[in-house]
Amino acid sequence: MGSVDNFFLLMEGFTTALQPMYLLYALGGVLVGTAVGVLPGIGPAMTVALLMPITYTLEPTAAIIVFAGIYYGGMYGGSTTSILLNTPGESASIVTALEGNKMAKAGRGAAALATAAVGSFVAGTIATVLLSFVAPYVAAFAVQIGPVEYVALMVVAFLTVGALLGSSVLRGLASLGLGLFIALVGFDSLTAQQRYTFGSPFLADGIDVVLVAVALFAVGEALYVGSRLRHGPIKVIPVTGGWTTWLRKDDLRRSWRPWLRGTFIGFPVGTIPAGGADVATFLSYASERRLAKGENKKQFGKGAIEGVAGPEAANNAAAAGVLVPLLTLGIPTTATAAMMLVAFQRYQIPVGPQLFESNSALVWALIASLYVGNLMLLVLNLPLVGIWVKILQIPRPYLYAGILVFAVLGAFSVNFTPIDVIILLVVGILGFFMRRFGYPIAPMVVGLILGPIFESQLRRSLAISQGDPVALVQSPIAATIYVVLLVIFALSLLLKRRQRQFEAMVAANADAPDVVRGTVQSSGTTPAVSIRREDTDR
Amino acid sequence: MSTSVQNAPGSGTDTAPGRPIGELVFALLIVSIGVLGFVAGAGIQTPPSASDIGPRAFPFAVSALLVLVGAGLVLQVLRGHRGAADEGEDVDLETGTDWATVGKLAGIVLLHAFLIVPLGWPVAAAVLFFGAAWSLGARPWWRNLVTAIVLALVLQFVFGGLLGVSLPPGFLEGIGGFGG
Repeated sequence: MGSVDNFFLLMEGFTTALQPMYLLYALGGVLVGTAVGVLPGIGPAMTVALLMPITYTLEPTAAIIVFAGIYYGGMYGGSTTSILLNTPGESASIVTALEGNKMAKAGRGAAALATAAVGSFVAGTIATVLLSFVAPYVAAFAVQIGPVEYVALMVVAFLTVGALLGSSVLRGLASLGLGLFIALVGFDSLTAQQRYTFGSPFLADGIDVVLVAVALFAVGEALYVGSRLRHGPIKVIPVTGGWTTWLRKDDLRRSWRPWLRGTFIGFPVGTIPAGGADVATFLSYASERRLAKGENKKQFGKGAIEGVAGPEAANNAAAAGVLVPLLTLGIPTTATAAMMLVAFQRYQIPVGPQLFESNSALVWALIASLYVGNLMLLVLNLPLVGIWVKILQIPRPYLYAGILVFAVLGAFSVNFTPIDVIILLVVGILGFFMRRFGYPIAPMVVGLILGPIFESQLRRSLAISQGDPVALVQSPIAATIYVVLLVIFALSLLLKRRQRQFEAMVAANADAPDVVRGTVQSSGTTPAVSIRREDTDR
Repeated sequence: MSTSVQNAPGSGTDTAPGRPIGELVFALLIVSIGVLGFVAGAGIQTPPSASDIGPRAFPFAVSALLVLVGAGLVLQVLRGHRGAADEGEDVDLETGTDWATVGKLAGIVLLHAFLIVPLGWPVAAAVLFFGAAWSLGARPWWRNLVTAIVLALVLQFVFGGLLGVSLPPGFLEGIGGFGG
């Protein structure tokens, strides 16, 4: 497969994606995606889950384009919220959201929004180009691997997703285990034996993945927020002036390098199972902070534009990077990617290494729609940002009541039986307690979706080796995968730990200057020095 | 491996005061799901012709994972390392848990499930929205009611009518455009 062929395939993808009908679907997708990205309490994973049962009537290409738009749109929308929503306490916990929020408070919200939107566009476009060139080669490699290597890849995916998509390793693994367990309920696909059905006809067909996902994301979230709803008015920081004046020459000069650096940090981090966009944004933030000089460096923690530009670009580039293992190997490394995988399954599109060969037209239409969606998102997020600010002000009782209505709509539409709504509630209560006790949701969803695929590949491998488990690590490729990815895993774990220490320190330092004005200088420079020292030992 | 990470400063767990009964129960629940997995897993029929490891091995492996991780969590909670509750823009971790709201929300979703078939989806959805918005503190009641009715009708029209999702229309039966 030469790169010229891929180029033609991509052009064919564009001829599909640029048809007026598909352009409309892409626009709908990015609109919904941005809206849910902006709204607190709803994420792209939840939205894809909610929309799946109610978009059955769409043809596969249209549905996949809608979901891709939601996927990219969600990444853009999130930055608007973290920049403009004035919630005490929360913003400090995510270090990358801190700079934008501080900028807005200092009256520079427009510049923060602009550098986030343009940076997301630049990063999204470059990363999509990288995706178009890298993915076919990975796919060509992937079709050669057998079940043993596939098992190796999935073991590592489980480990990283379980251990990294949350703040506590044991809780992440428990969440993964719960997902794997729920996936077991129903008929065994290889021997048609019933497992964990307890004689119930409702459990014999298995518990629907979409139902569990909607319950965990939507109902769990609504119950949890309901238990601790922040009352009082919603404080949105106002943005002034026309959008053309938002990014001054000086801002642009300080932004373009962080955009590019963020892109080239984010994309590779997204492609490997290292904890998704979270790690990428942190890496970008830390490196921008280290590279900044003089006056600009002192602004970190108090609204440095580099601290918005870099992480936002890294976030979007990582989102494109996540699509590489998803489209070429069928391995999702984030909750949203996992829901995209379910969308493929629902439409009978075989995911995994064969995808690029068997459904080449669809894959390239999807990739082409990502280019188109990115351009649409730039327009939606610069001139039209006012609309999203209004959405941000929806009264919270209505927002969460609405989430519940959409959740029951999705649940009921799976099989058109009210029993599913009751299962939705039960799993939703589980999701409530998981949030309350610090169990991450994403590993459970990934386990639920990858579990059955993993089991069948594992049993195929062992059937070939006639039950000899040593065969699982004997293949040179599989052994290499284990070694390489375990190194990545160890590094990511280390990085994650460092990230927490770093965030705790930055948050502590960023809060201090607001109280005592006289200490601004000293407390502002200390962390920068200590970071540099930390990084040289690495 | 994990304990050293857990003890790191600023990591996801906190040593907060108060008795973590609920958290302990949840960790024990994970252990018991694992135990249940072993007990019920022993009852899975294995066809003699199975050429591979059979349908029982993987369930046992998952059950073992749950028992081990659950036990680790029980120990962690007993030692005082507690999970950090989820954060969010609309979440106020300073105040206590409002159990009454959780109960009301869960009750209204349950009520909704029983109303779909007798009264149709639009009525059941309007009841759900009205009840949930009221539970979450939205006032005045008549604005909640109007919003609930409009939302239910719009959703029934878009999904039942335009997209052809078979939502029971209830009293809208026979009126064109609402599906059914």
